[in-house]
Parts: sequence; structure tokens; C-alpha cells
Amino acid sequence: MRERPAGSGRPDLPELCAVAMAEAAGGEAVEAFAQEDTHVQVRARAGEVESLSFSESRGVGVRVIVDERLGYAYAADPEPAEVAELVRVAREGARFAEPDPGNVLVRIGPADPIAGLFDEAQATVTTDRKVAVALELERLATSRRPEVRKVESVGYGDARSRVAMASTAMDGGSVEFSRTDCWASATCLAEGEGQTESGWSFGLARGLAGLDVAAVADEAADRAARLLGGRKPASARLPVVLDPAAAAAFLSVLSGALSAEAVQKGRSPLATLVGQAVGSDAVTLVDDGRLEGAPATAPFDGEGVATGRTTLVEGGVLRGFLHNAYTAARAGAGSTGNAGRGSYRSVPGVAPTNLHLSPSDQDAEALLRRAGRAVYVQDVSGLHSGASSISGVFSVGATGLRVEGGALGAPLREMTIASTLLDVLGAIVAVASDLRFFPFGAGLGAPTVLVGEMTVGGT
Amino acid sequence: MVLEPELVQRVLRVALGTGGRLAEVFAEDRTTTSLRLDDGRVEEVVAGRDRGAGVRVFHGDTQAYAHTNRMDEAALVRAAEAAASAAGTRTGSVRVVDLAGASSTGDVPDPITHPVPEPADGVARDRKVAWLREADDAARAVAPTVRQVAVAYFDTRQRVLIADSDGSWVEEDRPRIRLFVSVVAGRDGVMQTGSHGPASMGGTELFQRHPPAATAERAARQAVTMLDGIPAPAAEMAVVIGPGGGGVLFHEACGHGLEADHIQKDASVFAGRLGDRLASPLVNGVDDGTVPGAWGSLAVDDEGAPTHRTVLFEEGVLVSYLYDRLRAEHDGVPTTGNGRRQSHAHLPIPRMTNSYILAGDADPEGVIADTPRGLYARTLGGGQVNPANGDFVFGVAEGYLIEDGRITSPVRGANLIGNGPAILAAIDAVATDFETWDGVCGKEGQGVPVGAGSPTIRIARMTVGGTDA
Repeated sequence: MRERPAGSGRPDLPELCAVAMAEAAGGEAVEAFAQEDTHVQVRARAGEVESLSFSESRGVGVRVIVDERLGYAYAADPEPAEVAELVRVAREGARFAEPDPGNVLVRIGPADPIAGLFDEAQATVTTDRKVAVALELERLATSRRPEVRKVESVGYGDARSRVAMASTAMDGGSVEFSRTDCWASATCLAEGEGQTESGWSFGLARGLAGLDVAAVADEAADRAARLLGGRKPASARLPVVLDPAAAAAFLSVLSGALSAEAVQKGRSPLATLVGQAVGSDAVTLVDDGRLEGAPATAPFDGEGVATGRTTLVEGGVLRGFLHNAYTAARAGAGSTGNAGRGSYRSVPGVAPTNLHLSPSDQDAEALLRRAGRAVYVQDVSGLHSGASSISGVFSVGATGLRVEGGALGAPLREMTIASTLLDVLGAIVAVASDLRFFPFGAGLGAPTVLVGEMTVGGT
Repeated sequence: MVLEPELVQRVLRVALGTGGRLAEVFAEDRTTTSLRLDDGRVEEVVAGRDRGAGVRVFHGDTQAYAHTNRMDEAALVRAAEAAASAAGTRTGSVRVVDLAGASSTGDVPDPITHPVPEPADGVARDRKVAWLREADDAARAVAPTVRQVAVAYFDTRQRVLIADSDGSWVEEDRPRIRLFVSVVAGRDGVMQTGSHGPASMGGTELFQRHPPAATAERAARQAVTMLDGIPAPAAEMAVVIGPGGGGVLFHEACGHGLEADHIQKDASVFAGRLGDRLASPLVNGVDDGTVPGAWGSLAVDDEGAPTHRTVLFEEGVLVSYLYDRLRAEHDGVPTTGNGRRQSHAHLPIPRMTNSYILAGDADPEGVIADTPRGLYARTLGGGQVNPANGDFVFGVAEGYLIEDGRITSPVRGANLIGNGPAILAAIDAVATDFETWDGVCGKEGQGVPVGAGSPTIRIARMTVGGTDA
């Protein structure tokens, strides 16, 4: 089995960045973002390998700012001459854009490295071992419970990636980092009582040694099995308990309203509320791009700015927004290190990094006891169409369980939960201690959350 | 030509070196231009080029895949070796790979093209800027409550080559274009949104059918209208879905469940139900990748198979599933040409192209007049389905109450939830006013362009999830 680094035999990433710098003309701000990664993915089903994929990719994106006008060009796996051409194409594009004082490159300094971001041991794991992990996950997922005999999908995946950047707003050279990621995921199908239900789980680590495959299998199987026999509830206004995955899904919508770009362009319902209460005192929201072991952790953001910790909501009071260099320049503020970049193809936007709802010290069971009678939501669906960070609507499909007498009870399906972002934040009665991170967006985290009231739709 | 035939032959030979039964190369070269206007300014002008190739080896029901965005021989051979080593360890006999005529004449078939009056990639940037401006001006002219307008334009040309060790060689040059307008309207601290984004497999003729101003006006009217919305009810009721939207429902409620990967995993509510009357007899549904100019159309799918018009439901009876090559071979049937992938970096899986509920006989206004109480969903947002049990949900982007057979107050925050087969069976009116809707469908992390279409339809009873219980 072969897995060579993507760059072998090719110009190194800093070298490609240097070509772009050399092509910059006087008065121009030029930035180069170069990226390479290798992935392996194994899917298993019915005791067999369903598919096995290897990939390698690299690319360069170049931003050119001339007279406050922005042009951008990218190419997959460019030769040095093509990188020079990217600068010319981006410069040409800039002529058609309009000047905006927000178009600035920030000065890039060295960012502190993050311990453990690159797991050396992961680089030596053989493909055979990865295949074995996927097969073991599938075996465990289908053998733990009698109702769960098959999976919708089970997989193991890993990635090794490297980013290098250079900019005319730095004193020569380039900055770079490398990281490893590996993950296991399972969606189990439970059958019984004339129904089929699915349950999902996911584990993420820097290297294989950190993955708990058995826990992923158990959780996916349990979450599927406990939904069997679910009924549609009667429509009512009720307390709702969001499990960490459902709460993180809620945060994925809210995060759009915490972007300074949304604020500046009239797309955030939070725009005018800094210094005011936007949630109950149980709500503290923190973004931390340096959190060890979390999904979005990196030493610097998509435009080279060191990542950091930003408290956005503290005890319910809105403290500020997430900034990249563009929004910071427009607001006269500093970048919070939240320039998000899907890949070398994208102009940096604003994105959260490990945004999470801070946990309390009470466990989830205590939270359920406090809820008494409620609806417990374990999965939400239709977020991209039923929820909006602009209008604040939050109306989504849900599956879960009744909470009766402070404990989980009968399963529920085909229901909706609805409210608004601000009403949910205001109605959060308590949060639990079980903070978990999920790979939604770049990475979001939440503990179990008790919301005092939402509308549950059913019959 | 994306890759030379001799190189492809060498790569396929390496890929079969460990005894795989079939090897395939998918290569692409894609150029994209995109422009974005936001906050009244043309703020981004982006030009990009992506290319890459993937080598797939079939070994029984296992697929091994390796891809790279390097197009040199060394990288492609290494990808072939990786796929081969994953597919098997047996040393196979060396197999000669003949590509459609290439061995004897050195020629391969010409690429399939989509001739368009004016390809978008040749249009000067200042005209593209003018389309953005036209849309921005038109949206802002709709009402003083229009607060913010974003206009995203892109055109792309994807040149693909699909060749396999059975000798198939297909190239297709796919031009695509889209203009998407998003509008925020605001009043008294309330913000509402509207959006519209017609798209085409084609060139600038898109703007004759859908002028940028008309697209912008539709998006702006939706946002402005919703400012007057009352909270949506949470209850079961009759739901009338406007033209086009029923196609989105069809896509979620049953299209995904008919994709043969879900069927073969026995992870679909539609598995084992061919020939059964699952939908109302009013429902005739197709998936059609051959509609000229439609956003989800392709001459060949991403495995090189010609696309089809596949009848899925005929008078309510389930007629066919949607196949890619692997699943078709497994079932011993011909592929329906639905093997699609987002790019060379993805394995093909069964996907829809343009999925339509065909027009019926009912008068659309009569359908509303005949509904004493219900919800009128003029425009749907996207949706999501759990294919294993058919439960689906989607958001209503523009909705109204129906009271005494008339469309009355707009409602905010409505969400529809139901179960695929149950909802298909509950369709009790199909009108004549067929329209299409263009979108991007996500499955297993892969986004592909899809079309949907329908006339006005009515579902006798389904759950509306709003905040007003």
C-alpha cells in the first residue's frame, strides 16, 4: 500500500508562495495560500470493504488588492509559472471589482504552534490497519443489540494536511502548519415494531490511538434502537432538552449571526445588541481556535492571523462578534483570527472555530430531572431550509424521546420543533457538563441544553 | 483532450494488475468564473481552474478508488497502483486494454458538446458586472423595505473524460451558468429573506428565459411579503404546494429512497416495492437527465453512461429505481445513467438529475378554491430525508394560510414534515401549471446540480411545524 506525501517531486508549498510574492507589483498587496492534503477513507458493510479511497490534492489561491479592489484566482496543482499567471489573472479581475476600504492584508507574524496537532505516529499507520478498524467498527455496530443488524454506512477516514501562506504584508518568508485528523463514523439501522430507525455517532482524534471505535459503535446502535416504536406527539408548547448534537446544530445556525460580516451587511438579528442580554444567564458562548483536540484547531486562520479565544456571549450578555481582517478594518477593530477558508478555491470569509456553549458542572441526568416532563431531541433535520441566522427562524424536523418523571421515556418521531434564535437563547434554563464537539462547519460544540419552552409540532 | 489515450491505456493496465474485473479513469478539467455583488458593491471577481483524475478498480462488490489533481503520468500511475493494491493482492494476468478504436487507428470519439448560442465563458467581464447591477437595481426597486441584496453569478466549463478497461471512451464538455439573488427585507426590527436562483446547462440564453431583473424581483417580493407574515401554525392540515415546489417534495420524499445504493443496503422504505401502487394514481413521476438546457441534465453520467428519461411512478405504481454502474451490475439491470460525482475527488453514487412530477388535469386556482383550510407553500426551501424510513422535512420559504378557499395571510417559519410513501399516497390534486426549480443536492458530502419540477399539487393532510400551537 502506498501513501506518499502529495507534494513529492513537486515544488514545495513555500516555494510556490514565493513565486507569487515575486510577481507582486509596486502598490499591490498580494497574498498566496497554498494547501496540500492526503486522505484515506474506508467504508465497510456486511463484513466486507465497500469502498476504499486514497486521495492527494494540492492547490494555490492568490489574492491581489489594487487600489482597494480585490481579485482572486486559484489553480489545482500549479507549476511555478502558473502561480505567476494566477497573480496576473487576479490583478485583471480586480479591475472589475469596486474599491472597498475593507480590502486589506493584515501583517502576518509568527503564530505559536499547537502541541499535538500533527501526530507523527499516524503517518506510519498502514492501510491494512485502517481497513481492519472499519471492519471492526461495522462488526461491533451490528452485534451489540438484537434490533441492530445492519448499517446505513460505517467508515474510517483520515487526513494529513499542510497549509503555507505568504503575503506582501510580512517580512519575507512564509508561515505554515501541518495537521493530522482521523475519524470513525457509524449510522446504524434498528428494525422492529414495523419501523426502521437510524442512529448516528462520530469520533474524532488526531491519530488512530485516540479513537474509541467501540464507543462510536455503541452510541450509534443505542441511538437507533431507542427510537423504535416512535409515535408522532400532539402539537404543544413544551420544555425541550437538546442533546449535544442537536444543541450544536442550533449553534451552527446562530453562528451566522455572530459574524461581523453579517452584522456589517445587515444580516444579523444581533447587530445592535452588543452589551445587552441576548440570552439567559446560563448562556456563555466562546470561540477558541486553539483548543487542543477540537476539530477546528489551527495556529493561524485563513489569512495568517494567529487564532485565539473570543468570548462572544457571557452570562447571556452579547460581548462582540467574530472578525476577519476585512470586517475588522471596516469596524476599526482587530481580527479575532476567524478568517475562514473552505480551501484554496475560496476568498477568506468569517467562520467560527470551535464555537461552543460553555458547560456547567451538573451532569445531563440532573438536567433531565430538572426538566421533569419535556421532549428530548437527539437529531434535527432540515436545518439548511428551516432555520435562518438572518430572520432568526428556527423550525426543523426532530426525532427523540419523551422525558417523563425526569428520565428518558417513549420514543417520538416525525415531529418539528420551532422557535426563534433569540427566544431559544432567552429560554435556556440550564446547560449540562457534557460538552462535545462535532464536525459541523469547521467544528462546533455544546453540552446537553434544557430550553424552557419551544413549539413541538405533531398531530 | 483531457488526457491522451495512450496514457489512459497504460494507467488502466496498471489498475488491473492485481486482478480487478474492471478499471475506470475519470479525468476532468474545470474552469470557473464567479462574481459577487454584495452591499451594493462588486466585491469579488474570482477565476479558477481545477483538474484531476481518479482511477477506480472493481473487485467483486468492492470499489477501490484513488485520485489526484496531478495530471502527469507518474501521479496517475501511482493512483492506479494504489487502487489496484487496495482492490486485490492476487497477481492477475496482464490484460490488454483497448479503448474505443484507439488501438487500431489512434483515434477516439469526439467529445460530446452542448452547443449554445453564446457560451458564458467567452463573455467580457463588464457584461457580467452589468448583470449583477441589473439584479441589484431591480431588487432594490421592489420596495423601500429591501435592506440588503447579494447577487452571485458563476459560469463554469467542466470537461470530463471517462474511459474504462472494457474499451469505453467518452468525453463531454459541460457548460453551466447560474445567477442567484438573496434579498433581506426589514421593518420594525423584523428581518425576512427571499432568494431565487435559476440555472442552466448552457450559456447566456438563460437570461432570455430568466432576466436578472426578474430573478431579483421574485427574490425581493418574497422577502418583502414575508414581513407581513404571522407565525405559522403547528398542526396537521391540507397543504397546497405551488408549481415547482412539488418537485422538491418529490426529490426528498421519494427520489432519494429510489436511489439503488439505499435499496441494495435494504436501507430504503421503497426496497422490494417495485410494481406496488405506493402513490396516488394522480402521480406520474420521472427522472430525466436529457431535458435540453436543464440544470440537472448531462449527455452522459459521470461513469460515461448516456442519461435517460426514467419513469419512476406511473399512475402511482413504482416502476424503477435509479442506478449507477455498480448497483446496476449487482441487480443485473442496465444502468439508468444516474451515476454522478461532484468531482474527480469523489466516487460516483446514484443521484437524481431532473426529477419531476408531471402535469395533471386540475386547474391550479380550483385546487385552492377547493381547500377550506390549509397552507399554501408557494416556494419551498431545500429539504432533508432519512431514506431508511422515508421521514422527511423541508422549510417553506414563502407560505400563506388558505382560509375558505382563498389565499390569505403570509406565514413565517413554516416547516413541513412527513413520510415519503404516506405523502405520495395523500396527493389528491395535480394541476396543469408545471414549473421547474434549480438547486444543489447534497449526499454523502457531494453536491451536484439537480433540477426539480412539478405543477401545483395538494396533499390532503400533513404536519405543518410552526410556532403557533
